[in-house]
Amino acid sequence: MDTKPKSDKPVTRRQFLRNGGRLTALTGLGALGAWLSDRATAKAWVWQIDPAKCVRCGNCATHCVLEQSAVKCVHAFAMCGYCNLCTGYFNPEPNALTTAAENQLCPTAAIKRTFVEDPYYEYTIDEKLCIGCAKCVEGCNRFGNGSLFLQIRHDRCVNCNECSIARVCAGDAFRRVPADQPYLLKTTQAH
Amino acid sequence: MRKEFQLSARREFLANSLRNAALLAALASRRGRAVEEVGTPNPFAYDVSRFSKTDPKLIAYEETARWKCPHAEPRRIAISPDQQLFVCAGDYVSVMSRDGQRRLEITLPEAARCVGVAHDGTTFIGLRNHIEVFDAKGQRRATWDSLGKKSWLTGLAVGENGIFAADSGNRVILHYDKSGELLGRIGEKNKERNLPGFIVPSPYLDVEIARDGLLRVNNPGRHHVEAYTLDGDFEGAWGKPTAAIDGFCGCCNPIGLALLPDGRFVTCEKGLPRVKVYSAEGAFESVVAGTESFPENAKACSGLNDCVHGGLDAAVDLQGRIYILDLVAGGIRVMKRKA
Repeated sequence: MDTKPKSDKPVTRRQFLRNGGRLTALTGLGALGAWLSDRATAKAWVWQIDPAKCVRCGNCATHCVLEQSAVKCVHAFAMCGYCNLCTGYFNPEPNALTTAAENQLCPTAAIKRTFVEDPYYEYTIDEKLCIGCAKCVEGCNRFGNGSLFLQIRHDRCVNCNECSIARVCAGDAFRRVPADQPYLLKTTQAH
Repeated sequence: MRKEFQLSARREFLANSLRNAALLAALASRRGRAVEEVGTPNPFAYDVSRFSKTDPKLIAYEETARWKCPHAEPRRIAISPDQQLFVCAGDYVSVMSRDGQRRLEITLPEAARCVGVAHDGTTFIGLRNHIEVFDAKGQRRATWDSLGKKSWLTGLAVGENGIFAADSGNRVILHYDKSGELLGRIGEKNKERNLPGFIVPSPYLDVEIARDGLLRVNNPGRHHVEAYTLDGDFEGAWGKPTAAIDGFCGCCNPIGLALLPDGRFVTCEKGLPRVKVYSAEGAFESVVAGTESFPENAKACSGLNDCVHGGLDAAVDLQGRIYILDLVAGGIRVMKRKA
């Protein structure tokens, strides 16, 4: 079988440059296509607090760029014991188990205590009042099962490139999570 | 030429030095601020440190011995009428002399959660949802019916009138005869009978038979010790919620009960782990061991941990010595009243 002999004609400089130009153009187009496709499917990321790492240091209340922190206490009702004496609600030595201000632990009275049935009470967070100080979170964890915990609320968070709370978080609990799954919630299963 | 070069190098050297110094200063200031920010005391701290040190004047007991629990995951300690210690830990019940010598071991198919012993040596062991019966030599004699998925046995008391099992899952004290027949259910919420019902946020319901013939049951969610007749009538309660030494701390305490020979109570708490003595009427009398005595146990409810685990249990011998089981450190301490 005959094979066609390769041309002995040397590649001219013009040909070399033309081929080089074509290759560069093709590579550029490919890279542009990949970038555009990546951009179309890329996930957006937001900051969130991992409740398993949070050490309730108080920095969330004082280091957010917002005047009132975007970090709020949230409540896993499925985990809550609906305790008569909620250690997240009452200070350690309450005069009585009533809603009187001197018995409350929260510095802004952001927890609402509602009677359910003897002797159970439901505790809900008023997010307008909550400053994310984690005092109740510590109280709940210290004596209870930790159904109160902190989360960044994304209706408030401005998603800074470098979160100013994350910079000083004592428990290194801040991390980026996909924007379509922006919360790290506690569950009875995980518990 | 040489002079010019030297001048230029010196100028360059000085400029670089200044630039580096400025950079270092900026970095140091930034680092200093970060350290300061992290090291600043938390203005919102939940401070219970004042309760972790007990007033020495209140401590009426001293430790005379301490030994390690025979197995991991201890849960309950009891003392038999012939004054042997029965320790539930892991899948075992270990029978020990009062000086810590192991005499017998009963192996179980799952975790032993509570134990009670009759005068003839018959041993009743509570597993999660049923009771198993063993003779004095540790041979299995019976396995009682399961109480269902929700059941979680955590306390047993054995008396002449039967066996009383504290079921934390169903919030009830079950009254059995010695053959395992269920005779009654005590303490379930009932408005008509004026029964308040047990509140058990974490599984630590306990039961004791007192010298007055009444049952004593801790009601942790109400911070009470309650008295019931064997027929299930509610006779009264005592106890108050506070982290202060004379009350019961946290959401749910006490978690364990024992009775002194003269009818006074020994109570065990978690969160602020402490063992205290109350009069038969429920007046605070003294501290057996304060929170400072159980540093590992106290840590079980701090930092990253919540307070579902941890705590203490106690048993009392006829001489009034108190045997404290540390559920976290896994040790048994013998406490004797100070002379």
